[in-house]
Amino acid sequence: MKSLKTAIIASLFVIAGLTFPVGGAQASLTARANHDHIKIDFFYNGSEVSVRGIQDPGVDLIVKLTSPDSNQDLKKKGKVSGFLWMNVGEIKFDNVPNLYFAQSSKKVDEILSKDEQDKYLVGYEALAKRAGVSPVASPEEKAKWFDEFVKLKESNKLYFVTDGGFTTNPDEPGKGYYMKFQWPYQAPPGDYLVTVYAVKGGKVIEQATSKVNVEQVGAVKTLADMARKNGAIYGGLSVLVAILAGFGVGLVFGKGGGAH
Amino acid sequence: MAAILYFAEEVFGMHLYLPVALTSVNVLMPIGLGLMVGLLSGLFGVGGGFLMTPLLIMLGIPSTVAAATDSNQIVAASTSGTYAHWRVGNVDFKMGFYLLVGGFSGGLLGVQAMKLLKATGNADFVIKMTYVFMLGLVGVYMLYESLSSMKKKKAAAMAEVVVEPPRKESGFAKLLGRLPLQTRFEKSGVSHSVILPIFFGALVGVLAAIMGVGGGFLMVPVMVYILRMPMHVVVGTSLFQILFTCIEVTFLQAYTNHSVDFVLAVLLLLGSTVGAQIGAVFGRKLKADQLKVYLAAIVLLVTVKIVFDLTLTPSHLLGMGGGH
Repeated sequence: MKSLKTAIIASLFVIAGLTFPVGGAQASLTARANHDHIKIDFFYNGSEVSVRGIQDPGVDLIVKLTSPDSNQDLKKKGKVSGFLWMNVGEIKFDNVPNLYFAQSSKKVDEILSKDEQDKYLVGYEALAKRAGVSPVASPEEKAKWFDEFVKLKESNKLYFVTDGGFTTNPDEPGKGYYMKFQWPYQAPPGDYLVTVYAVKGGKVIEQATSKVNVEQVGAVKTLADMARKNGAIYGGLSVLVAILAGFGVGLVFGKGGGAH
Repeated sequence: MAAILYFAEEVFGMHLYLPVALTSVNVLMPIGLGLMVGLLSGLFGVGGGFLMTPLLIMLGIPSTVAAATDSNQIVAASTSGTYAHWRVGNVDFKMGFYLLVGGFSGGLLGVQAMKLLKATGNADFVIKMTYVFMLGLVGVYMLYESLSSMKKKKAAAMAEVVVEPPRKESGFAKLLGRLPLQTRFEKSGVSHSVILPIFFGALVGVLAAIMGVGGGFLMVPVMVYILRMPMHVVVGTSLFQILFTCIEVTFLQAYTNHSVDFVLAVLLLLGSTVGAQIGAVFGRKLKADQLKVYLAAIVLLVTVKIVFDLTLTPSHLLGMGGGH
């Protein structure tokens, strides 16, 4: 399987090219993601996305990988009759990405001010401030449920925030950067955005972006589409295959067994 | 040798992506689960949904997909099991038909009851309590009855060939005997009013719809203790009934909820169809009371697990929506 995985992680190096100098800084930051198009076939088991580029010397970096914001309805568990844990209702999270990875060259609080973290949505605190959580009775309750939301996402490998892990870009010895994310198979198909921030003096001085598209292909796509669009045919086919498989195995055992 | 090792590494480490569940699994996990649950299916005449669905959720399959796909694989396992039992004459099609008529009607009633419960916000509590109560009741009763029966070896021998309730003609049995539309079920060697299997089939159907399972573990005790059918005919007939129930459920889930994962179902049925055959072979080597004791033990273990789940603090206070 490793060979397959290696093949999947093959190099589709695409220079993502959008860079935005912030605050008029004379800097040049680039970002490119290997494998900007992740194909989900039958043997897909997650992947690896590396980001590399060039930055000015003396800046720190933060790389963020997110899905578009969405609204998510989840079931919340609570105690019933004082001792039974069960679903006690739904809770809605607005303006939250389904996937959120952030990795910085040093601890975020040491390199970026809180205001800038909020502005550029770096870290869970910034996400929590912007997220809508309902129904909740108080800010404390909102914070509690947002923490639970992050815990759930982290256990599904869809959220993480960490620091370190940057190395020198092998393409640009001495001045480039290189880091990689383990791409989880739990991340659904869709478009994802990689944003690299160059940080100096507690502020973002420049940012560059790149896109990653995750798409089902081949038989996986055919089956997923059929399940969604032709439920009756898909259901009939599922039943038919199951019956034939059951009979087939029955016949094989009947002929060879003689134990009956 | 190196080629064999390479092949083993490739196969054992092989993951497959599930297009509807949107997740990736090691192929050995669902095949192994299917084998285990298929074995139970062939042995005891249960679909195994009450075991399989929670295990699939533990593998990371969304609960709605787990329940719907489980129905799909039960179609394969119960086809395989029914066929194995039919070949040795252990399926009472007439009884199975009446149970099915009741089961379908009960299922429809149960679905309506669930809608009402969901509207009042008490669905989860009722589902969990029904599980604990019914599983506990069935498990304890079967264990008690079969253990005391095993103690009296003569009674155990009679249980294999019993035709009519031999011991006391209770008031309940007399009442059943006076019901209209009495008919003879030759294969099972019993006579009942057709109302009886239809009524109890419906009752199991209602509970199965509420609990989101096929209801085999409820149907088996009904056939053994109320319809007084011999254990080996019970297993074959139960599988026959489960087969049709799960065909209906699979189709409806695929059509309305789009939640059947065909790839996962194929992996599960690779194991479960073989397991059902092995179970059917082993089942004939075990005595009826032994079968009942083992089934009772499994049912009680699941009950204990659910009680733990209900009382221990969960690792996450949030969960994905859908399913139960």
